[in-house]
Amino acid sequence: MKRIFHVTTFTFRELIRSKMLYIWLLSAIVFCLLAFLLSILSFGEVHKIFMDLGLVGMEWSGTLVLLLSLAVTYNTEFEQKSIYLQLAKPITRGEYLLGRVLGFFSVISLVVLGMGLLIAGLVAFVGGGQVSPMFFYSSVFLLIEMFVLTTLGLTFQMIGTSMVGVVLYSMFTIFLGHCVGQVEWLLNQNLAPAVKTVLRVVHFFLPNLEAFNLKDRIYDPNLIFGWEQWREVLLYGFTYSFVVFLIGWINLEKREFM
Amino acid sequence: MANDRFLKWAVPLLIFVFLTQAYLSSKLDRWVHPAPFENSKAGELDPKIVSSLRAAAFLSGYKVLIGHAFWIRVIQYYGDGFNGSDHFSKLYDYCRLASDLNPQFISVYTYGASVLAYQLNRMDEASKLLQKGILANPNANNLKLLLAAMAYHNSANYEREIPFLEIQIAQGNAPTMLINILANTYKKAGRTDDAIRLWLQILKTTDSDVQKYEAAQKLKELYAISKTKNSLEKVNP
Repeated sequence: MKRIFHVTTFTFRELIRSKMLYIWLLSAIVFCLLAFLLSILSFGEVHKIFMDLGLVGMEWSGTLVLLLSLAVTYNTEFEQKSIYLQLAKPITRGEYLLGRVLGFFSVISLVVLGMGLLIAGLVAFVGGGQVSPMFFYSSVFLLIEMFVLTTLGLTFQMIGTSMVGVVLYSMFTIFLGHCVGQVEWLLNQNLAPAVKTVLRVVHFFLPNLEAFNLKDRIYDPNLIFGWEQWREVLLYGFTYSFVVFLIGWINLEKREFM
Repeated sequence: MANDRFLKWAVPLLIFVFLTQAYLSSKLDRWVHPAPFENSKAGELDPKIVSSLRAAAFLSGYKVLIGHAFWIRVIQYYGDGFNGSDHFSKLYDYCRLASDLNPQFISVYTYGASVLAYQLNRMDEASKLLQKGILANPNANNLKLLLAAMAYHNSANYEREIPFLEIQIAQGNAPTMLINILANTYKKAGRTDDAIRLWLQILKTTDSDVQKYEAAQKLKELYAISKTKNSLEKVNP
């Protein structure tokens, strides 16, 4: 446990020192300005638009920090070979990977929550509006999504052989993960059984990122949202992350550092 | 050695956890996507643009973002005087697409229906848009009020139309255009004093220069009517 904590704090410090938080600052400014501009142009429901766009901004800045962190750390860990130093210490490769995941996730959480507080603060104290509880629930769902994506990104880092490959794999998986909603819709259509089987397999392999996409359904009157949904989403999020983590761990164990 | 031992139990564990996540993922279907994929016609809009927008919205996971961005496009379309040459023929299709992308965004229905019904006199399209809005948002009372107001407006029953507009405006968050509509309806119903009161309120509260100018013009017109009415009352008490 202590060894995992050391890797986590080391990763956290490494990412903070690589000036990753400047991205947060930049995205916060850009998204707040964009959200403000769109909301004043929209003829009504200004706070609603500002919060909707704020949630998108939170997701984008989190994803941006993740992708850039993956690129930066691939360079230092694998190309400059600093992973050798870490693995030379009395630490298992599983502990190392878990520490990395938690370190990455803590930086991304800092970015996402920081942006969330900024949006909620601007709406409540500057705009004089009310922040609905669904905004906070959506932010928590975003954090679960970020945890899944962090584990996935680091697993790609363990599998990938180049920095560009790692970033591209992660980007495509994020895109395809959001398409799962339409795959589910297709599965309910009248299609050939073979096509349905292929779609079902694809559906189970990809992360169902639409499960965490509460921001698109905040105002949906048909949304069923209670303890059962929290439990299902949390269980799914952590089980999927564990699958991906195991794949990453197996790959790290098989990887030879010569 | 430790490596081999790990790999021996890791693969069966991986299979077990994968099957568990597949089971949990299939359970999620019950609540994650109960809404069907909306597929209304492109109408007068370019089908390629409509289908690209829909695909981007439904596949990217940013339906609300694309809906809001498209809403700005709808406002731009109505704000462009050049489109007035064909009486904003694409406005209904624009609003329909905006509401497909973001069905819970009430402004699409209130603004779109108000323009279609009161400015362009296209009652059928306005009521279709409002009906769609009411079905998507059963709790949005202002849409029901607007539909009722429009029905009375269509039959020129202004006295009955006014309370529906008043309640909606009193609820707050009504588009400024709806307040203008109420002021004009007061005038049509012969309630000049109420119309003056409302235009004065608009003049005091609005930030828009165009609206200030419109309010001033309307007030000039209404004061003239009021003056004539008063002098007539003095002659024929």
